[in-house]
Amino acid sequence: MDNKYTVLIVEDEKGIGNFINTILTSNGYGVLRALDGMTAMMMITSHCPDLIILDLGLPDTDGTKIIRSVREWSQIPIVVVSARSHEKDKVEALDLGADDYVAKPFGSAELLARIRTALRHAALSRETPGMPVTGLFKSGELTVDYNKRRVYIAGTDARLTQNEYKIVVLLSRYAGRVLTYDFVIKSIWGPNFKGDNQILRVNMANIRRKIEKNPADPQYIYTETGVGYRMAEET
Amino acid sequence: MKKNSCLILDKIKIHISSKSIAFTAGIYVTTCLLCALLRNLGNDNNYVSMIFILSIFMTARFTDGYWYGIIASLVGVLTVNYFFTFPFFAFNFTLAGYPLTILFMLAVSIATSALTTQTKQSEQIKMEVEKEKTRSNLLRAVSHDLRTPLTSILGAISVMIENDGSLTGKERMELLCGAQDDAQWLIRVVENLLAVTRIDEESRAKIIKAPEAAEEIVSEVVAKFKKRFPDQNLQVKVPDELLLIPMDAILIEQVLMNLLENAVIHGKGEDCIQLSVTLKGNKAAFEVRDNGAGIDPEKLPKIFDGYLNRATEDESDSKRNMGIGLSVCNTIIRAHGGKMYAANNLDGGASFRFELNMMENEHG
Repeated sequence: MDNKYTVLIVEDEKGIGNFINTILTSNGYGVLRALDGMTAMMMITSHCPDLIILDLGLPDTDGTKIIRSVREWSQIPIVVVSARSHEKDKVEALDLGADDYVAKPFGSAELLARIRTALRHAALSRETPGMPVTGLFKSGELTVDYNKRRVYIAGTDARLTQNEYKIVVLLSRYAGRVLTYDFVIKSIWGPNFKGDNQILRVNMANIRRKIEKNPADPQYIYTETGVGYRMAEET
Repeated sequence: MKKNSCLILDKIKIHISSKSIAFTAGIYVTTCLLCALLRNLGNDNNYVSMIFILSIFMTARFTDGYWYGIIASLVGVLTVNYFFTFPFFAFNFTLAGYPLTILFMLAVSIATSALTTQTKQSEQIKMEVEKEKTRSNLLRAVSHDLRTPLTSILGAISVMIENDGSLTGKERMELLCGAQDDAQWLIRVVENLLAVTRIDEESRAKIIKAPEAAEEIVSEVVAKFKKRFPDQNLQVKVPDELLLIPMDAILIEQVLMNLLENAVIHGKGEDCIQLSVTLKGNKAAFEVRDNGAGIDPEKLPKIFDGYLNRATEDESDSKRNMGIGLSVCNTIIRAHGGKMYAANNLDGGASFRFELNMMENEHG
């Protein structure tokens, strides 16, 4: 491959870094490594990698600082690696502009899927910035028709309300990526909405009952407890 | 050092509690009434100080700290002087032996209080010893659970390193799969330990609860479970209405995951697991039911605390025991103010159930 993506791995644990490195190189990615925040910042500015895999717990700096300073000048996709039980850290990282996260312990399939999704979204937003969404989104039996503003399940109209439709469109535009509660609420109800996640939960419950066969075993919209929602990728 | 100074402070501090105040006042009033009654019956006054000493003894015995007893003895001395000794309804501090009476009453009160406080302290120490014992039992059991799979992972890896050239692909794969299994099991143990540390040791009520949708919790658990056991037949059911339940979502997910994994690992011969949530009054009932071999009826009553009390050395060599899973489940549910049940189904298999309180206010 002459034009392969370059991924910067920022991880202080050598073992984990090595294992991510092996996964990436054997899947055709170019790899850069940084063991601490200082080196990471230098490598990001000098090499401009296509994607950053960032461990939040670094010896010298807080990983969130890196996200913040990178987002000041660049939209390089950032995938955060974090421990499972730290929902707050994940949400903070995502709200600061990280694209996605993988929870430790993770498998190679999961990591590769996150990286592919992040790279694809980055390419899309570069090519068509601010374009109105048109066309269709399809995943399994779910079809979102952006032109008709309708959602179909196996060809039948799911009869979503205005807000429910907006939520589904938002999730489908970022399919494969986790969206935080806060992000969804601000996008649908506006930045000044005051209140908790309850209204979103109720809307999600309604959507689930309209598009999923079994709301307890969803095929299209997944919950990431304490973080947000993720829609299945387009198929 | 800190503990000692605490104890001393404890002695000096007035434990203001309405119970102690009411008790002290009640004893005092009763004593006064009793003395007045006896005097009206025409007895002479000798018994009065006896009755007051008894009342001071009772006060010191059944209240916290020293102050109630001391106050009761001072008030008692003054009362005896004012009401029950000549001249009646006037203070007379020149009575013979008066300072002695005061000293005597104070001594009774302080000695009794000291005794009471000591008893309470030794009870507390006993409780702490008990807690320490539980903790070290847990530690020993967990260490064992960690050591066994680590040994086998290490073994597999060193075999591969030392015989790099001579292993066939199949042998290599077997070793790797074994190591992967063990690593997964280790993760499970560690997740359980982390779950326990999320619960504040000292005050069990202090988990942070937020309203969560039951179906979201269930669906995430199901997704994770299917990743680990893709071929397992699992049926999931939640009610039509949205159930919002105050809980620590990570912990409840851990409970459900433990129950599902237990069903797979220990439900011998099961081919179908059912996970359901039902609404019962103001409670949400979660149930995991399998159609396997069920639970040994002898073990059933102690199934949730078996891990902590079992004889640690003999039976634990097989690492596929119930692990700390069920004890952790029980701890988590209790910390949520819920209760956990295990039973064998009439038509075979085991079921585990727990109930959580729903939101108190619909708008909440």
